[in-house]
Amino acid sequence: MITVKDLTMRFGDVTVLNGISEQIEKGEKVVIIGPSGSGKSTFLRCLNLTEKPTAGSIVFDGQELTGLHDRELNLIRRRMGMVFQHFNLFPHLTIRRNITLAPVKLGILTKEQADDRASELLKRVGLADKADAYPAQLSGGQKQRIAIARSLAMNPEVMLFDEPTSALDPEMVGEVLELMKQLAEDGMTMVVVTHEMGFAREVASRILFMADGKIMEQNSPAEFFSNPKSPRLKDFLSKVL
Amino acid sequence: MGFLESFRQNFIEENRWQYLTDGLKTTLIITFFAVIIGMLLGFLVAIIRSTHLRTGKLLIPDLICRLYLTVIRGTPVVVQLLIIYFVIFASVPISKTFVAVIAFGINSGAYVAEIVRGGIMAVDIGQLEAGRSLGLNYRQTMISVIMPQALKTVLPALANEAIVLLKETSVAGYIAIADLTKGGDIIRSQTFSAFMPLIAVAVIYLVMVVLLTKLVNLLERRLASNDHR
Repeated sequence: MITVKDLTMRFGDVTVLNGISEQIEKGEKVVIIGPSGSGKSTFLRCLNLTEKPTAGSIVFDGQELTGLHDRELNLIRRRMGMVFQHFNLFPHLTIRRNITLAPVKLGILTKEQADDRASELLKRVGLADKADAYPAQLSGGQKQRIAIARSLAMNPEVMLFDEPTSALDPEMVGEVLELMKQLAEDGMTMVVVTHEMGFAREVASRILFMADGKIMEQNSPAEFFSNPKSPRLKDFLSKVL
Repeated sequence: MGFLESFRQNFIEENRWQYLTDGLKTTLIITFFAVIIGMLLGFLVAIIRSTHLRTGKLLIPDLICRLYLTVIRGTPVVVQLLIIYFVIFASVPISKTFVAVIAFGINSGAYVAEIVRGGIMAVDIGQLEAGRSLGLNYRQTMISVIMPQALKTVLPALANEAIVLLKETSVAGYIAIADLTKGGDIIRSQTFSAFMPLIAVAVIYLVMVVLLTKLVNLLERRLASNDHR
């Protein structure tokens, strides 16, 4: 579904991504872990061209994304949902409008259809009573669930999660991971950057370990945790587990 | 000469108060239209500048905008007014009030632009990223997501800019426009008494500024009370 080849990202003299090649299949749940500064967020943000890579190629559903014009890229982005560490809900809009804004503006749904879709999604994320609230009135966990609902409103084929629980108070992490688990069970293709090892172990079909802008090692969850090969991963796991 | 006698001489005799009321009218007309031009110009420049800063596009328009900001903010408004009247419109028979509206509008636009640009840049970059990640284009994200948030933060500062402009138009007399300040000065030159007419002018400006500032504070409180952030 997504094929990445020799992806390189430099900010000035700093090489953040150092020639990454990777293939993500439809229905896969790929979890990316690694120390901070390893380039995992940058890698994820390159997949929908939120960051423009310095070199390399990203092919989504047979279409090369680097070098696409904005107009075509916007069409691609509709099909790739993104969830951010800091939620990035629109503070000036109600929860319902947060969800319906893009489908209505882009002419995909009428206002009535979008409102129905929003109600349906809010029920799914367990926040049906918050439709008329504003983001500031919600807890962090609720905000992130709304952000997921907002992405789902576009019926994406793949969802990118950029440390979705890192900005949350510990007691709110569970509700967001639970929702992501449901999404995974429903068959959504997911790429998740996270520090939640339990989630990785339980949900991932494959775990990638990134360090120094490279994918150092990858494996099925069971093998990944029980039988790490590279010293870097052993060292990392000894610190986080 | 007593206070009442002085008052009568300066304002009642020969209907001299009309210099002040006519002047006030001119001042308000110039301010009103200059504010409109300033806002239009300022928003345009701010959007070009912030688009360039955020996306790297619009390089040439951004350069022009920066030149405009440097020149306008680096020279006195009186000099700009004189140049626009005596140089640019030198050979064109044109209403002085119109020239003043253009001059003050162009001047105000530079300050509005920096206020609005500050407001746009103050909106978290994540808002733009979120809008774009949903497939909205840059324009749609600006209109639906960024500008409503930016506008709310800059509204009080914009209103203050309009108040500043009201006072700045007092130099319109340099191109012989009979605005409020000039009106007071004409009375002074006729009666040879400076205190009455000039204090009257000052009081009129002060009352307007105080009232408008009160309105801005009210607006600011209203905005804060329905703040969803």
